[in-house]
Amino acid sequence: MSMSAEHDDALEDEVLRQVVNELRRPVPLDPSVDRRALDQIRAEALPMASRPDRRWVTWLAGAAVAAGVLLAVALPDRQQSTVAPTPPVALGPPAAGSDARPVRLRLAAPASSRVAVVGDFNDWDPAATPLRPAGDGGTWIVELRLKPGRYHYTFLIDGRRWARDPSEPRAAESDFGAPVSVLTVS
Amino acid sequence: MPFVRWLALAALLALPAASQAQDTRLTERLDAATATRVQQVVDSAQAGGLPGEPLVQKALEGATLGASDDRIVAAVQSLHGQLRRAREALGGGASDPELTAAAGALRAGLEPSALRRLQSLRPDQPLVVPIAVLTDLVAEGVPPADATRSVLDLARDGRPDDEFVALRRQLQQRGAGGEPMGRPALRPAADPPVDQ
Repeated sequence: MSMSAEHDDALEDEVLRQVVNELRRPVPLDPSVDRRALDQIRAEALPMASRPDRRWVTWLAGAAVAAGVLLAVALPDRQQSTVAPTPPVALGPPAAGSDARPVRLRLAAPASSRVAVVGDFNDWDPAATPLRPAGDGGTWIVELRLKPGRYHYTFLIDGRRWARDPSEPRAAESDFGAPVSVLTVS
Repeated sequence: MPFVRWLALAALLALPAASQAQDTRLTERLDAATATRVQQVVDSAQAGGLPGEPLVQKALEGATLGASDDRIVAAVQSLHGQLRRAREALGGGASDPELTAAAGALRAGLEPSALRRLQSLRPDQPLVVPIAVLTDLVAEGVPPADATRSVLDLARDGRPDDEFVALRRQLQQRGAGGEPMGRPALRPAADPPVDQ
């Protein structure tokens, strides 16, 4: 019983092998077959392009491009002005072509351990623009580069005391009570 | 109408991104509610063609100086109103720095007619420095009519910015020397100071 089954299996394997070999054998084709097939494909493709239901796909692609352009034009403009605006000040050496002007601020603050300036040019950030000792025992200085305009600012002494710049006019308005100076860069 | 549906979808996708665009400087330095209120003023200003940056700086100034939230919003709203008045005085062709300087001048108590007169005397030159000097003079105690007369005289003569600054320095020196700031005119007046 078991020998008969093994025989049948071997026979089936041989038949299958021959079938596979026959299927794998290359079939010789007339060289014109490929050309005729390509011609037929082209002939069928042309009507497809002019079918009405393809038009909305083109419109859709155009609409997507237009929407993308609109978003690219509108959103970055808003974000540039509100999310990541360019600060009006650039500290350090002048950039080529920049219209920023060098401005030196100084404050006499003897017996102080640190002085910083906050203003419209540095987002009123106390950590952004520290002054350095001038070396004369009491004067602190900093060099800025500011574009022409009008800037409100004040000094922060030792992180706890506000002092306006006595060498520039005081701001006409004082919304928050602290002494503020105003600097005009022309 | 797939085309319309796609456009609606694009609009829906764009709307949340636009409505959530807030200045990160405000959100980092102010509490969420105050940042939103300030951002609304900034957006309104920009929609009206006014600069938003001075408003952001005013809010940041308040935050750094420890002002209350309501005071910050009130100061920003007030500046927005001054910028609007400045634009009404100078017209749509004024630059952002000119509008900012003019807003300060109006805040200091100067009349819009003074700004218009100055603009008419310097039609092709920046107005930032003359307006700033005018404001500074008033802030230092010169009566607005006298300050206006002095600055308009310089403008009428076609003087450069440096001479406006020199005028202010002259006044500062007088103040430092103990002379009264409220004296009549720094320069002889040739014409009435402003159009009435």
